[in-house]
Amino acid sequence: MKFFQKLSQIDRRWIYLLVALAVIVPLMARMGLPDAPGKYSLQLFDAVDRIPPRSQPVLISADYSPSMMPELHPMFMAMARHCLARKVRLMVMTLDPTGAGLAENGLRQITDEINARAGSAADSAVYGRDYVFLGYKPGTAIVMMSIGENIRQAYPADAYGTPLDSLPMMRDVRNYADIPLVNCIAGSAVLNYWIVYAGARYRARVGGGSTAVSSADYYPFLQSGQMVGLLNGMKGASDYEFLNQQRGYSSAPRVAGKGMDAVSIVHLLIMGFIVLGNVGYFVTKKSAQQKAGEE
Amino acid sequence: MKRALAALLCLAAVSGAVLAAPAPEIVAPALPAVAPPADVAASDTPNDAGLSVSLTWRASPDEARGIEGYEILRSDAADGPYQRVGYVPVGIDGYDDQAVPADGQDLYYRVSAVGGGIAAAESPAVGPVRSRQQWYNTAKTNALVGTLLFTLIVVYFINGAKSGRHLFIRRIAGLTAVEEAIGRATEMGKPILFCPGMDGVTSISTLAALNILGQVAKKAAEYDTPLLVPNRDPIVYTVAEEIVKEAYTEIGRPDAYNRDSVFYLTDNQMGYTSGVNGIMTREKPATNFFMGYFYAESLVLAETGATTGAIQIAGTDSVTQLPFFITACDYTLMGEELYAASAYLGKQPMLIGTLKAQDWSKALVGLLLLAGTALALAGPGPRQLVMKMLSIE
Amino acid sequence: MKRQLPLMIVLVLGIAFTVQFFIPSRASEVTYQTALQWWLVMSSFAMVLALGSLVNHHVLKIKRRKEHWAFSWVTLAGLLVMGALGIMGGPSVGLRWANAAYNQLFLFVQAPMDSAMFAILAFYMASASYRAFRARSKEATVLLIAGFVVMLGIIPFGAMLWRRIPDISEWIMMVPNMASKRGILLGIGLGSTATALKIILGIERSWLGGSGK
Repeated sequence: MKFFQKLSQIDRRWIYLLVALAVIVPLMARMGLPDAPGKYSLQLFDAVDRIPPRSQPVLISADYSPSMMPELHPMFMAMARHCLARKVRLMVMTLDPTGAGLAENGLRQITDEINARAGSAADSAVYGRDYVFLGYKPGTAIVMMSIGENIRQAYPADAYGTPLDSLPMMRDVRNYADIPLVNCIAGSAVLNYWIVYAGARYRARVGGGSTAVSSADYYPFLQSGQMVGLLNGMKGASDYEFLNQQRGYSSAPRVAGKGMDAVSIVHLLIMGFIVLGNVGYFVTKKSAQQKAGEE
Repeated sequence: MKRALAALLCLAAVSGAVLAAPAPEIVAPALPAVAPPADVAASDTPNDAGLSVSLTWRASPDEARGIEGYEILRSDAADGPYQRVGYVPVGIDGYDDQAVPADGQDLYYRVSAVGGGIAAAESPAVGPVRSRQQWYNTAKTNALVGTLLFTLIVVYFINGAKSGRHLFIRRIAGLTAVEEAIGRATEMGKPILFCPGMDGVTSISTLAALNILGQVAKKAAEYDTPLLVPNRDPIVYTVAEEIVKEAYTEIGRPDAYNRDSVFYLTDNQMGYTSGVNGIMTREKPATNFFMGYFYAESLVLAETGATTGAIQIAGTDSVTQLPFFITACDYTLMGEELYAASAYLGKQPMLIGTLKAQDWSKALVGLLLLAGTALALAGPGPRQLVMKMLSIE
Repeated sequence: MKRQLPLMIVLVLGIAFTVQFFIPSRASEVTYQTALQWWLVMSSFAMVLALGSLVNHHVLKIKRRKEHWAFSWVTLAGLLVMGALGIMGGPSVGLRWANAAYNQLFLFVQAPMDSAMFAILAFYMASASYRAFRARSKEATVLLIAGFVVMLGIIPFGAMLWRRIPDISEWIMMVPNMASKRGILLGIGLGSTATALKIILGIERSWLGGSGK
């Protein structure tokens, strides 16, 4: 009895210690839990997979800050890898000032990998021909609406100052009508804005990824068909990495896959805490009732 | 030797004949033909600012035979020349040509099924079609009717409230606790912390939070309790500063206003969170208010507050963050309760009137939902009848 | 006058932009876009005021030697260094070393600090669920079971236990969860319209400070 009473008043730092262990151990040793990609991850992957190579570009807006990096950056990497491995043209922009550095570094890493392996110029990822980096632009909704009119209004030049018309792949891109898929990766309400402005106002096809904490916000849009698919937190990122490997688009180590092991173990741990908490609650409640009865 | 010579002569004769023959024309292998998209229709894009034509078509039955997408071709004459204006991959059967040169100009369109291994198959030309701008968005008629109806209900109840009719409002525990929470801070001689959310001033929840700040600041001024208002958005910061200053002036204690009580931290989400956490652990406010829109940081803020032993009152319309606040705070205003707070605390009859209007409108929406559900469950007959009556296609 | 003028501006612009919402024409679009541009300009001015507040707050702290005043130096130094490097490394000045230093500080100082703050969420979630997720009533028990199934559905162990758990988890998210969410959202929609209306019509004046009388 005392044990349960003690348990219900346990110092929360013990809980923190167990959580830390449950995160660190699986990250150190890959457990390789089985993968079962979720429905909405698959929908998004398929939407990208159906876009013909070397045609109109996919847009990824990397609207996340470093705080969301563990969950959201692997999504960006997996999606960009998928596009570039399939030779689907890629435009990357960001509406978060701190997202610019993350996206630019990520793109550089992927293109370096592809170019190191490429046997010919056709196989390599060439800036301006296969991908462009547009950089950061302030003014969220205004930027989205400007792209709806003409992308040159928002981005007269790319992040390095090159005018858009000087980049071969951008010559035929005017607005959302020329972008088969708009993806937003964000942990804030920016994805909502993309759905409202790019999707509802300019009829763009919108997909994206969000942190697990905020993903529930987007289920209504998935249900109504206003989103083509959604990557839900670490699980979504891990799903996309898995699909990339399964279809032979990437052999890069699965960062989110590893993270997912930790997430799974922490979930189990939290479930264990809830069970323990409840057992303690019922036992102490029962003893209190017994005491009251005796008196 | 003779044989070798004969073979050589034969070879020479054959090659001579080959060389003498007329060279055959080099013909590339004919690419397989596919059916073009059918039923192509072009019309002015409805409810827009002009300079746009919408096209729809029925996918080619041969999509599986190598069609990769559809090219959209435009001309100002039916017989061409046609210019490529857009492309969509297979699976999409519509396109908005938003690069129309001028409104009112006759335009013709063709849609061509294309792919790497097939011969392009063009649909017959459709047109003429002209783009134009509209002055009323018919797709928003429901919003217009709803807004007008809602405004009428609001005006009706405000008038009722003005004429002195008693309007009952249920007790909202979180708001009843506001005064007690401020009183507690006064007794303990500790400050009150007020976070006006993570969104900008364009967000209704931020405006609602600022309205509550006005009321809280007045009470803080009355009891002479220090108030701390850390901000994330620069505009919200300037507005919040003005509100608190005015509250002190209205209570008649402008001298008690501390310029440093409303301040800007950073617009970085986690930077702001760590800043507020720092304030909570260092200054140990007796009461924490988290009002407005919050994201993933909600639990980090509320749990830290809980460890410092503060009374915590949260209010948000961020549905995904509500469970976290409910878990870690003493009181939580859910969704619209946040908007009702100012009316509840201010006790002005006009504001209470709008709350009543909200309730009646909600009842109306509820009835509409029930009617819609009943129609969906009833067979197609009654459904079509009602849709015809409302002229919904 | 000090109160009447803002109320007038709110009334006129509030009604004008409500009407604009229903007009799709070019003139209406341009008006809306221009208003948004103005918004950006005003935000920049507010940023200057906010920066002033930040500097003032920390300078005062240092001057008065308040508790932990030394950390205010860290804030001010961070502001100065990142600001200066950002400007010098930006496209208008274009010093490569400054850009590189900015990137290094961003990637190896700010990014890990940000991530660490966000990661705290996992710890707090564990302790909060331990403390609060209890079957105190029938409703709480239903919530507890639903929460359990959803959590199991997300991780691979769920499907390992029973292959239908992920489907049940999705059903919970898409049907009962969505129904209650939509109910709350309806209230929020009406509430936000009412709030906007109250502000436009000048009934709600608390945002002007005090009771707004």
